[in-house]
Amino acid sequence: MKKRRFAGMLAVLTLAGAVLTGCSATSSTTVQTESSSPQGEKTSQVVNIYSDRHYETDKLLLEEFSKETGIKVNVIEGKSDELIERLAREGKDSQADLLVTADVGRLHRAKEQGLLQSAESDTLSKNVPENLKDKDNQWYGLTVRARVLVYAKDRVDPSQLSTYEDLTDPKWKKKILVRSSDNIYNQSLLASFIAVNGEEKAKAWAKGIVDNMARTPKGSDRDQAKAVVAGEGDVAIMNTYYYGLLLNSSDSEEVKVAKQLGVFFPNQSTTGTHINVSGAGVTASAKNKENAIKLVEFLSSEKAQKQFAEANFEYPANPAVEPSDLLKSWGTFKPQTINLTKLGENNNNAVQIFSQVGWK
Amino acid sequence: MSGSSIKRSFNLWGMLSAFFAALIILPNVDLFGNLFVQPNENWYHIKTYLLKDYITNTLVIIGFTGVFTVLIGSGMAWLISAYDFPGRRIFNWALILPLTIPPYIGAYTYNGILNYTGVVQRGLRNVLEVQVNPKWLDIMNIQGAIFIFAVFLFPYVYTVTRAFLTNQSASLIENARLLGKNSLEIFVQVVLPISRGAILGGMTLVIFEVLNDYGVVSYFGVQTFSTAIFKAWFSMGDIDTAVKLSGVLMTIVISVLLLERGLRGRKKYSYTTSKVRPIVRTRLRGMKGFWAFFVSFIFLSLGFIIPVLQLLVWSTLTFKKVFNIAFLKLLGNSVVVALVAALIILGVAVIIANFSRLQENWVGKLFTKVTLLGYSIPGAVISIGVILFFVDFDRKLEWFYKALNPNSITLVLSSSVVMLIFAYSVRFLAVGYQSIEAGFEKVGKKFFEASRMLGNGVTKTFFRVDLPMIKPAVISAFALTFVDIVKELPLTLILRPYNFNTLATKTYEYATDEMIHEAAIPALLIILVSITSVYLLNKLGEKEGI
Repeated sequence: MKKRRFAGMLAVLTLAGAVLTGCSATSSTTVQTESSSPQGEKTSQVVNIYSDRHYETDKLLLEEFSKETGIKVNVIEGKSDELIERLAREGKDSQADLLVTADVGRLHRAKEQGLLQSAESDTLSKNVPENLKDKDNQWYGLTVRARVLVYAKDRVDPSQLSTYEDLTDPKWKKKILVRSSDNIYNQSLLASFIAVNGEEKAKAWAKGIVDNMARTPKGSDRDQAKAVVAGEGDVAIMNTYYYGLLLNSSDSEEVKVAKQLGVFFPNQSTTGTHINVSGAGVTASAKNKENAIKLVEFLSSEKAQKQFAEANFEYPANPAVEPSDLLKSWGTFKPQTINLTKLGENNNNAVQIFSQVGWK
Repeated sequence: MSGSSIKRSFNLWGMLSAFFAALIILPNVDLFGNLFVQPNENWYHIKTYLLKDYITNTLVIIGFTGVFTVLIGSGMAWLISAYDFPGRRIFNWALILPLTIPPYIGAYTYNGILNYTGVVQRGLRNVLEVQVNPKWLDIMNIQGAIFIFAVFLFPYVYTVTRAFLTNQSASLIENARLLGKNSLEIFVQVVLPISRGAILGGMTLVIFEVLNDYGVVSYFGVQTFSTAIFKAWFSMGDIDTAVKLSGVLMTIVISVLLLERGLRGRKKYSYTTSKVRPIVRTRLRGMKGFWAFFVSFIFLSLGFIIPVLQLLVWSTLTFKKVFNIAFLKLLGNSVVVALVAALIILGVAVIIANFSRLQENWVGKLFTKVTLLGYSIPGAVISIGVILFFVDFDRKLEWFYKALNPNSITLVLSSSVVMLIFAYSVRFLAVGYQSIEAGFEKVGKKFFEASRMLGNGVTKTFFRVDLPMIKPAVISAFALTFVDIVKELPLTLILRPYNFNTLATKTYEYATDEMIHEAAIPALLIILVSITSVYLLNKLGEKEGI
């Protein structure tokens, strides 16, 4: 009897797949009628986006785009790595037309995996400078942020600050605040040093920073700024827009913190301040390539750039558009001139160096 | 009823259980496969430089969190079940509320309270003009992570243990009282041993939750095993190594669980008489009553009142900017998917639990372990398996979609909410299952056997005898899974269809940009939805005389 039951069990297991087919097939009809409207229609115009930017103003801009062109925009927001993986697993059948990420390393990774395609456009060539886009036109930078130094105004004279490299000097022992090496902005920063100064020097720099850290890396960029004001250290490495967010916080105490900090653009007389972009690339599987290009053109246009960049206190990629007054008040700066593709290429190397030198 | 028809009806349970088990395993087959892939350079890099520290940290966090949640959870369950004191009726259900706050939001909130601009230091600085050393109030470390996990996760142990102790045939405890044992002795010598299964069930959930957490530990800068998984994936872009690491983690966890079940052996404590009645609660008067109230209040405050007050304050700062009518849509989405998935989970959990308790052989045990599978791997990793599974499935069904609608896209199911609900069910089955299994364990098989002896079939017995008896467990299973799904993040984020947002994804949108003040409003709505469900279920429970 036991044997029979066991055999039955096995049969069930093998049958399970078949039953599943029937089961889900019946439910799929209803699903189909529901879900075909966002992605399935061939008649009306759509563009489908995978995005890891999520600002209210972005949504307003997309609505604006729909109004102007009649193209409906569908969005799935998520973390860039997971969206890229979803894109990869969906393969040629993916409905996504455009990948938007807040870091150039991710765009490069998507390109490496063959998930993007070239998108030629005169408008885009005009709107986006050469160093802010992919050399094969597979992605275009749309907004720019700089990774700068913020310092305690009451303790640090800006004349003491000069370069990222100077932060490894023993005079900054226990004074430097920076977040974890798991953070992509730190990875891109080190990747840029590998491109600019070579691997040896980049590694020595990372080691020097670890030696000068005021505490084990933790928290967000904003937390580093607070730690400077709290006196845990003197100088923090952070992105410009996080400083902007702090200065415009709804919490008056955070605004007070921001006001006690100064912004310093390092490496002005040498290699330039590190920059990164958020950008977009047309997917290899795009079913609505034309619409996707139209959307990127729209976002890089003079009209949209101001709003798109200001949403997050970033610099516009389009050189014809001026940054916001707040950003201008920090002064103009000389950015790194390397092609941003390098950040993606050197990312893995940077990650390995971080763990070798013990940057947690 | 003849013997063969009884067997047939029992086989139906077996078939359904096997079917569900297969559905859980299939999306994960791809992940298992990765276990045997040759390790690459990234794997060796992680092994050489990182793994040792990460494993140490993980063990420390699990160890302390485990001990604290068991002490708090089972202690509170005992206090609530056996004593009467001011506020008991409220604490009875309110102590589950810490679960409604996602731990990563709890971590942001506590740091927001304690950091330089937080209410504590700000008050000391601006009002009393005292500048404390910020290091004293620093929560961003391994101790802080343990604190966060303990105060937000103890309700897993509390709920499962309380469901076990309530209605537990009171004789053991009353006999102990008659024999002159004091409360502490009864707790240690009677309550802990008899409710060991329930406590371990709850602790299993806590440990899984901690193992899979990335939000809290990455924010606090504490490196754990999940850091290694996500470092491989996010930093090195190497999903194969990430999956391999998850597989290793899962294998270890499941082996430990199997070992535990083995050690527990055949000791079972179930109803010994048919006179099931609640424990007669001892009334605590005077100082004793106050202390009972005080202790309950402390844990409720740490896990719920304090963070919620902080979130409320933040939400007043950003209310005008953030809140709009679209939140109703988010709320609706959150509730509907959680409701559907929780009901599916309950159905599946009851069927598998009933089958495997009656089928006392390796098949039953195997199914029990399968229910844990989805909970033992980080959600983000599961989602990858689920996508692959559904994309494959859609491709196989393409001819069918095209027959219905010639313009149909290929990825019908995988761009619909079906994929998300499926993933929820795989992931949270363990949560519902632990609770229901504890319920069955408490009831034991005597009533089942009596009913069978009287000639009822397995299915009839289930609906007329077993189901009514495990109702408290079913209710707490529903509450736990519903609350878990409403706040779930990684699966929702990656598996949702276009333009589908929930309260959890909205919270994430703000929190990830370090806009915790803005995140307060959707986070509070998650909490509100969860409180409502917990409260209603408690009402339902009371009406049923539970």
